[in-house]
Amino acid sequence: MNDYIIETNGLTKKYGSTYVVNQVDLKVKKGEIYGFLGPNGAGKTTTIRMVLGLARPTKGSIHIFGKDMKKDKLSVLKKVGSLVEYPSYYGHLTAYENLEAVRILLDAPKSRIDEVLSIVRLTNDAKRPVKGFSLGMKQRLGIATALLGNPELLILDEPTNGLDPSGIIEIRELIKSMPKEHGITILVSSHLLSEMEQMATQVGIISKGKMIFQDSISTLRQRSSSKIRIKVSDTEAVSKKLLSWGYKVGSNENYIFVENTSDREIAEIIRKLVNHQCSIYRVEEEKKSLEQIFLELTGGEASL
Amino acid sequence: MVRLLRTELLKLRKSSIWLLIFVSPFLSLLVGLGETTAGLPEEEYWLTTYQWMSFPHAALFLPLLTGVFSAFVCRYEHVGGGWKQLAALPVSRGKLYLAKLLVVCLLIFYTQILLVAGLFSVGQWKEFQVAFPWETVAIGAFSGWLACLPLIALQMLVSVSWSSFAAPMAVNVIFTLPNILILNSETYGPYYPWAQPFLAMMPHTETESFRALHISMETLFIVILGSLMLFLFAGFTYFIRKEI
Ligand SMILES: Nc1ncnc2c1ncn2[C@@H]1O[C@H](COP(=O)(O)OP(=O)(O)OP(=O)(O)O)[C@@H](O)[C@H]1O
Ligand SMILES: [Mg+2]
Repeated sequence: MNDYIIETNGLTKKYGSTYVVNQVDLKVKKGEIYGFLGPNGAGKTTTIRMVLGLARPTKGSIHIFGKDMKKDKLSVLKKVGSLVEYPSYYGHLTAYENLEAVRILLDAPKSRIDEVLSIVRLTNDAKRPVKGFSLGMKQRLGIATALLGNPELLILDEPTNGLDPSGIIEIRELIKSMPKEHGITILVSSHLLSEMEQMATQVGIISKGKMIFQDSISTLRQRSSSKIRIKVSDTEAVSKKLLSWGYKVGSNENYIFVENTSDREIAEIIRKLVNHQCSIYRVEEEKKSLEQIFLELTGGEASL
Repeated sequence: MVRLLRTELLKLRKSSIWLLIFVSPFLSLLVGLGETTAGLPEEEYWLTTYQWMSFPHAALFLPLLTGVFSAFVCRYEHVGGGWKQLAALPVSRGKLYLAKLLVVCLLIFYTQILLVAGLFSVGQWKEFQVAFPWETVAIGAFSGWLACLPLIALQMLVSVSWSSFAAPMAVNVIFTLPNILILNSETYGPYYPWAQPFLAMMPHTETESFRALHISMETLFIVILGSLMLFLFAGFTYFIRKEI
């Protein structure tokens, strides 16, 4: 046995003749915030629907809390809160009644409704019919519903869809606080790396149905090799000079780039340039952003 | 199961659809009030009024209502993405489907009670002097309800599978309207599921020993139970396997 909260093996979903999800081995450890990333149409929602038992895998197995979803679906779902794609709601009921409808099924205490309402800050709108809610409010209601049963695992598919910047920050802080305060494990999907960067501890990147990267966010960061760029008076002449001295440099009309260098080498270059009477305006470090790595990994067709 | 029913009733109570249970009994009440019983022997006052009232109710409204109620209890799930949420909760899909069916059965049951109440009011209004034929009327209403069950099962299947509201209503109307013709046919009437509620509600004049309900045993088993089993089986199989 291992301690994965979610573990899929060779998870595959075929619609017609296209593999929408192809041999995905998702591994989520306890207490992680697992960022599930991929461009639009990569297969994130389809994977999540299979994990929750909404859709049947064409091939492969899913274990949650070490239990086989095929056999123990209901006992697993008791401990899972979820929000898939769009929040579900009953427009003719108030926010409170919407939560009550789910609470009855979960057999959670009534007091839990007020708790989750205050967590997502909907307490003041609790008595209004949900059909009059804005998208952001429905989204919060969806998150409140997911939290209702005190889940050990929270699966959120694009939870910040339709939220304004302050709403996004709020939800992000909420998500970040949960593993710390309640020991919850979270799987959260998004097509925005920048968003994941600020909360995920693990990332899985899926593109065209295939998992192309799965590791900690720090490993992903290490891939962001840095380069030094130097702004000088006469870029062309200086770059020629450096090349003639045997340094591997590149340049465009504004900057000279030195890649993968040690501090010593940079110091040496600067000293030589100063000695040759070049005016150095700027020496800067340029980091490849995670976004760029993401684009490279997903073959550049990502929407960011 | 109890919890599922409570949730369903909560959702239903807050929508105004359940008010439709009053429509058909009310219209039938008007029919009952409008019809004259003049020239008939007094013992037949009740049953004649009952037959007058049952005709539009059972031939038309009752089959239509099975479709309307089924479509509505599915509609708020289709519209708000409720199926997805319910399927990811720890409830079995089979029980969820059953709960939806039971809620519609309950609504039709109330409709029948209201019809009987309507008949009773008509009699009071017209000051019928003979005793109310409880047994015949109650059995008729109950048989009518039984005969609605296969229709509910079919309409639920249709309502669950199509997210549009118009589709199940169209199916409903297409099968109910021919009733008016088929009811008069000795050959097809007994085998047409949509004609059963009316046939079941009509008291039979001939006394056959096995007619405990106003349905012959053959019809009960072959047409009603047969179609009920078929539609239920199809509905459950479809819903349990459905990708949400
Ligand atoms: N029921 C279905 N039948 C056929 N194709 C489907 C079905 N559901 C999804 N797909 C296809 O599967 C692919 C992946 O869809 P999915 O919704 O999983 O992507 P996603 O990663 O969640 O994208 P997004 O970021 O836009 O939410 C899409 O190309 C979609 O057209
Ligand atoms: Mg998606």
